[in-house]
Amino acid sequence: MTIRILLVDDHPIVRQGLKTLLEGRSGWEVIGEASDGAEAVEKAKDLHPDVMVLDVTMPKMNGLEACRVLRRQAPQLEILFVTQHDSPQMMREALDAGARGYVVKSNAARDLLAAVEAVSQHRMFTALNGRESAGLQ
Amino acid sequence: MKLRILLADDHEIVRRGLRALLEKREGWEVCGEASDGREAVEKALQLKPDVVIVDIGMPNLNGLDTTRQLLQHDPQFKVIVLTITDSDQVIREALDAGARGFVLKSDAARDLVTAVEALQNKRMFFTPRVNDLVLAGFLEKGHSLSRNETPKLPTLTAREREITQLLAEGNSSKEVACLLNLSTKTVETHRSNIMRKLSFHSIRDLVVYAIKNNLIQIEIPPAPKAPTGPTAA
Repeated sequence: MTIRILLVDDHPIVRQGLKTLLEGRSGWEVIGEASDGAEAVEKAKDLHPDVMVLDVTMPKMNGLEACRVLRRQAPQLEILFVTQHDSPQMMREALDAGARGYVVKSNAARDLLAAVEAVSQHRMFTALNGRESAGLQ
Repeated sequence: MKLRILLADDHEIVRRGLRALLEKREGWEVCGEASDGREAVEKALQLKPDVVIVDIGMPNLNGLDTTRQLLQHDPQFKVIVLTITDSDQVIREALDAGARGFVLKSDAARDLVTAVEALQNKRMFFTPRVNDLVLAGFLEKGHSLSRNETPKLPTLTAREREITQLLAEGNSSKEVACLLNLSTKTVETHRSNIMRKLSFHSIRDLVVYAIKNNLIQIEIPPAPKAPTGPTAA
């Protein structure tokens, strides 16, 4: 299955790590990258990804704000947060902003592929440390 | 002969990104990875890498104390510290710990290869933004970052610093004892000494101290969105 992915994180090294992991899957393609929320919104408009992998804490526009804008601008786009914040409250806020998934960066290597697959099929995927609750419709 | 590099960062995603960056260079090899400072020290002693890259903010043993321990074992280790924090205190502590390179994580894609090359050629490396900050510090404050200056953690021993970090991370004394192969009683004794030396009365004081002195790092989340519509009574 082809999935076109836009990566958004203010650290190029993190984006490189995510890209290495994602492009190991046949048919998955990282079509672009952005380093802040504002750039993410612009690139989503131009590139029409299927899934956006989005950090929370970024300069110019944080991930939550970008998610809210994108929910209005691109309702077909599925958003997966990959973030340092291992917090049920932050996760709730991310889901309220319109995200379909939320995983913690410290477990990204374990959870990212399953999360991208789930959200690309419009299924929710959330996984905090020690509190997995993946793959809910 | 290949240049052998050990990576230490608690995030596997970051290690993947660093590995992808470094292994693009012909003749460079990531010979091992560690997800905390303790593992980094073990692997460095076992693998004897040419360069060790350590994240400052690792659990169990932070990057600065990892650097100190490595250099106590063998002063020939060449360590680059990676950090999200660019305060002059962190720079000072990294230098005092014996790091030969200092790179901001946000600049790593641009600077890390140059840093490793510098250390390979027996030079030190500081990311350009760090150089600007150091210079600004000289001009504003009129003091130098001399290696003879006393570090900001004057009264705690290395062991006490380790225990402070583990307690501030939320481990109980029993858990700390298990991690450090000590008896619970020994940890409790260290804990009492730490609290007495720093005149603290609660674990909260310890956590604040650990954050202020970069024993643990925290990331500040964005402020929650203000509720719209009718406000609750």
